[in-house]
This record gives sequence, structure tokens and C-alpha cells, in this order.
Amino acid sequence: METLFSPVILFFILGALAAFARSDLVFPEALSKALSIYLMCAIGLKGGVLVSGNGATSDLLLAAAAGLVLSMTIPLIGFLVLRGVGRLDPINAAAVAAHYGSVSVVTFIAGDQLLSDAGLPPAGYMVAVLALMETPAIIVGLFLARRFGGADMETGGSLWRETLLNGSVVLLVGSFVIGMIIGKPGFEPLTPVFQTGFTGLLCLFLLDMGLLAARRLRNTRSLTVRLVAFAIIFPLLNGTLGVLIGGFLGLDVGTSTALGILGASASYIAVPAAMRLALPKADAGLYLTMSLAITFPFNITVGIPVYTAIAKWSV
Amino acid sequence: MVTTHPRKKIEILVDAPLLSRIQQLAKDAEVKGYTLQRTIGGEGGQGRWRAEEVTGGAGSKLVFATIVDDETADRFLSDLEPLLSEYGLLVTVSPVEVIRGERF
Repeated sequence: METLFSPVILFFILGALAAFARSDLVFPEALSKALSIYLMCAIGLKGGVLVSGNGATSDLLLAAAAGLVLSMTIPLIGFLVLRGVGRLDPINAAAVAAHYGSVSVVTFIAGDQLLSDAGLPPAGYMVAVLALMETPAIIVGLFLARRFGGADMETGGSLWRETLLNGSVVLLVGSFVIGMIIGKPGFEPLTPVFQTGFTGLLCLFLLDMGLLAARRLRNTRSLTVRLVAFAIIFPLLNGTLGVLIGGFLGLDVGTSTALGILGASASYIAVPAAMRLALPKADAGLYLTMSLAITFPFNITVGIPVYTAIAKWSV
Repeated sequence: MVTTHPRKKIEILVDAPLLSRIQQLAKDAEVKGYTLQRTIGGEGGQGRWRAEEVTGGAGSKLVFATIVDDETADRFLSDLEPLLSEYGLLVTVSPVEVIRGERF
């Protein structure tokens, strides 16, 4: 319940309510983009600085391996469920499954903030795990589409550039490395921009995300009850699995929760653009609505507190 | 009296991630130049959409506009035709007059 009264979540709810009420509130497109760049730099730097202080530990390697396994396994399970229960054709099932195997940077950032506020800050290296989990699901999704859907798809240089050098991956990895190089002393002069202002700017960004998610949900025409159920239940299972794996590997409560959040979140930045390019036959309205308009709000408002509670109980 | 030359203007509404494919097709058809225009939003068979940068441009659309002679237009349109429904393209062709004909 405390999580729901966090300013970050309250601004998200404000944005969603404004969109549902058909308010004319609009966020300038350039400001949204600038805020997302700021947030990715800030979280990357924070992670890098923390790792520079603690060094590369065995926990880092274990969490990275767990993240990779999750991001390759989740799309396979998701594909089977979407084909069977969701009644999607193979190409749409593969495209949607890839979104659920990849991660949502903003869900991670919001989770990191909420966990830190609760005195359970995740380890800094989870930013590296986040970056690692962005792309493997895209490759698994494309394999599934080709193997089961006979998709004749774009697999040229532009797809691989889009996938591996996606802006969010470059920013996260780049600022993480910069954080590792400069360490705490080098980060000190940057704190007014990247630390003091962080929560306020995250509130603004989530206000915009609330607007975006609710407007997309209001305008969708592709959803079925089964797919809505998938977009809620599947992340819940993945999040629980992530938390339990984290606990099994000996990670602390905050870090296990962060692994759960990564497992539960669905991409709406790197994967949609890659899928639109590689699988143009797949319905972009479907995968974007499921990940951005259902799973993202669910994880932000309900999922994160649930994964935290499971971690507190099991770790 | 300024002399003008008849040409064809081709405008394509395309999802932002698919732009690179259109650029490649234009290059293959020997299109000499083009202009890209941002869009704000719209409504069509797939429902209402709004341009936004947050989803990596996957939900945004651009207008690719070019002016070419008849022969180039035929080549370019023939290449585009198989992709129309799969890529969800909206293609319009209109007659225009240009002053410096050698440029188009």
C-alpha cells in the first residue's frame, strides 16, 4: 500500500486518469525523449559507480547468468502459452513472447527507486543485468517466428544494428562503464543533476507514461480477454520465478526483487522497433498495447509490491 | 514566363522502424532525393495513433516524400506494391510541376 502513495506512482496514476478522462494534457515529444535519455544515463551511472566501489563479485556473474537464462526461457514458455491459451498465430505469438522475454527499463528504474525508498536498494550491477536482458529475447522471438511461422523476415544489417546498438542499450551500457571509470569521487560533482533531481524527473516521466499507457489502452482494437489475462498473469509468474531464483542464488532481498522485476517486465522500447522491422506481419497494436498499456501499469502498481513481499518472505 | 516540367510526387506514410526499407527501395529504384516529414497522429483501420518517441518510434509514423520522373516513379511503385498491406503503407501519387526538371 505504501508503494501506491509514492509520488512516482501517484504521478503515473495522475497521467492515466487524465488520459481516461480525455484531458487535453500533452507532454512535448522532445521532453519525453529527453527525460528517457536522462533516466537511462542516471541509472547507468549509479550502477557503474556502485560496482566501481564493490568490484565485480561472484554475485554479479550469478545474477547475469540468471538474467540471461530468464530472458531466453521466458519467450519460449510465453510462445507456447500464447499459441495454446491466447490463440495467437505463430508470428504474433513469437512477437509478443519476445516482448515478455526482454525488459522494461522504466519498470526497473521505478522498482529501483521504490526499493531504495524502502531501504532495500538493489545491487548496482543489476543495471548490467538489465542491459544484458534487453536483446536475447529478440533473437529467440525471431527464431520462433521463422521455425513455426515460416516468417520471411528482414535479417539484414539494419535489424542487427537496431537490436544490438539500440539507443537504450548504448546509453545504459555506456553510462554504466562511465560510472565504473569515474567511481564515487568522479560522480560527486554530477550528483546535483543525476541524483538530486532524479526522483522529481522520474515523476514527470511517469506522468507521461501514464498518459501514454492509458491512451493506448483506450484506442486499442486488438485485445481479447485471454490476452489481457496473459499480460497480467504471465508477468506475475515470471516475477515470482525471478525472485525465487535470486533467493536461491543467495542474492539479498532488494537484488532478488530487482531480478523478479526484470523477469516480469515487458519491453516497449527495444523490442517493438525490432519486431516491426523484422516481422512486419505481426500486429504492432497488439504487442505494444499488451506490454505498455497492461503489463507496465500492472507491474508499477501491483507487481513491484508483490515481488518485494515474495522476496521478503522467501529470501 | 517560367517553363515548368511535369513530374510525379510520391508520398508514403510509413511506420518509423520500416523507414530504412523504404530508403533502400528508393535507392534501388534510383530515386535521386527525398524529404522526411514528422507526423503528430491520426486514425485509420487499425484505430487511433499518436506519435511518441518513448517506444523507440515503433508507434510513430513518418511521411517519405519524393519527386521523380515517370520512369523512376513506375520502378519505385512496382517495388513498393508487394509491401503495401504487410507494411501498412499509405502511398499517394500526384502530378506536380517543377522548374528545374533536370534535378528530378
